[in-house]
Amino acid sequence: MPPLAGTIDWPTGRPQPTAYLGQRTEFDYRFPVRVRDVVAMGAWPSLGFLGRIDSTCQDRISSALERTGIIDIADMPLQKLSSGQLQRALFARTMVQDARLILLDEPFTAIDQTTEAALMRLVDEWATEKRTIILVLHDLSAVLQHCNSVLLLGEGKALFGAPKETLNPENLITYRYLTESQAAWIENMYSQSKSDYV
Amino acid sequence: MFEWFDYAFMTRALVATTVLSFSVTPIGVFLVLRRMSLAGEAMAHAIVPGIVIAFVVAGLTMGSMVIGGLIAGITVAALTSLLARVTIIREDASLASLYLIALALGIFILSSAGSAVPLKSFLFGSILGIDDESLIMLGVTATVTMVSFALIFRSLIIKTIDPIFHESQFKHSGFVAHWFMFLVVLNLLGSFKALGTLMAVGLMILPATAARYWVETMTGYVIVTFVFTLLSSWIGLVVSFYLSGVPSGPAIVLTAGFFFFFSVILAPQGFCLVRGLRTYLRNAVTNDRHLK
Repeated sequence: MPPLAGTIDWPTGRPQPTAYLGQRTEFDYRFPVRVRDVVAMGAWPSLGFLGRIDSTCQDRISSALERTGIIDIADMPLQKLSSGQLQRALFARTMVQDARLILLDEPFTAIDQTTEAALMRLVDEWATEKRTIILVLHDLSAVLQHCNSVLLLGEGKALFGAPKETLNPENLITYRYLTESQAAWIENMYSQSKSDYV
Repeated sequence: MFEWFDYAFMTRALVATTVLSFSVTPIGVFLVLRRMSLAGEAMAHAIVPGIVIAFVVAGLTMGSMVIGGLIAGITVAALTSLLARVTIIREDASLASLYLIALALGIFILSSAGSAVPLKSFLFGSILGIDDESLIMLGVTATVTMVSFALIFRSLIIKTIDPIFHESQFKHSGFVAHWFMFLVVLNLLGSFKALGTLMAVGLMILPATAARYWVETMTGYVIVTFVFTLLSSWIGLVVSFYLSGVPSGPAIVLTAGFFFFFSVILAPQGFCLVRGLRTYLRNAVTNDRHLK
């Protein structure tokens, strides 16, 4: 994907393979493939036109199926998956891509709590594997618990910093993360307990 | 029973439709999966004036018809998206308007030029029309199609399932879709002799929709579609041979239509009549026992 503006500085000097899990607005749930094939698609871009899936790649696929907890349904057709199971499969596909940089765009929308917790654990594991993960999230508590730094976007502006300092009530109001009424309510709470924050 | 085998034009037609079946199978499968069945139909009509003009100007040669058809197809596709973007009507309406104009224009030119090819066989196909040159054209079409799919198969699957992922991972993401449209036009031209311009899409879409009812994987889908395509064209040809007034196009497409309804009624992902009937009978038996 070419950037609209600006440049990206890569540590190695040239663009690195990037794993990307986008929103599922255009996803075709009825396509006749099995779960294992969807996961294997993570390897396809690097295979080129005629490359075969070799045994190391096969192992990577099996391990991804296992770590996302869908090894038992690996042979099920795509159209029979629930939303949570599908998201697990797409996380597995992302793992098969084996990239140093991983982009996840709102990965937990329309996902049940159990699946979200399991997938968030995976994201933490990726971080310990020295991968860089960029998440788009609306869930403040998830950001505060799992992220090292945050870029707060809103009102055409951006603010970058550590989560705890950046996501204070004042900033959340300025960047319109909260609605007018929520803002008023929080402002009220904030003024009552201001001493706690300072 | 097999006297049709002694006629040279029949054996040629059988060879032609067999080669054609290999070629149109992946085309039909992806037209259905990419939700482009109607766009394929429209494209079949859109390329008619290009072929007719090429035919009138340069005669019945393969090269000129392919070029004419491609020019007409690209023109209609480009105009369609231009109208949809710049004017108030949407894509479906602009495509429908343009392909109707194109089809009418093609038939108009063909009739007024006093063509040697009868209008009926142009529209509905004729097994008599399949000469050696058509066979060579089909061979080239099938070869190009097969080699192309060997290369773009995986890419096209991802493009269809998850276009956003495809765009993020493949450098020339748009190319696969465009190349596929080129293959569609090429195969439509290949189908014209046997099926006619009005029926050409039939052998692509109907076996592929029928097969979709039976399968859950891509490999199975391609195989079942191929079997339906081959049987439709063979049975259709023989029917057209015995009923001399019936052009080959409708005969082949009706056979494919039979497979379609057969699948709708019986197949596991259709109405699944067999299983439904069994459940009904089992329930009837159990209820009977309860009453006693």
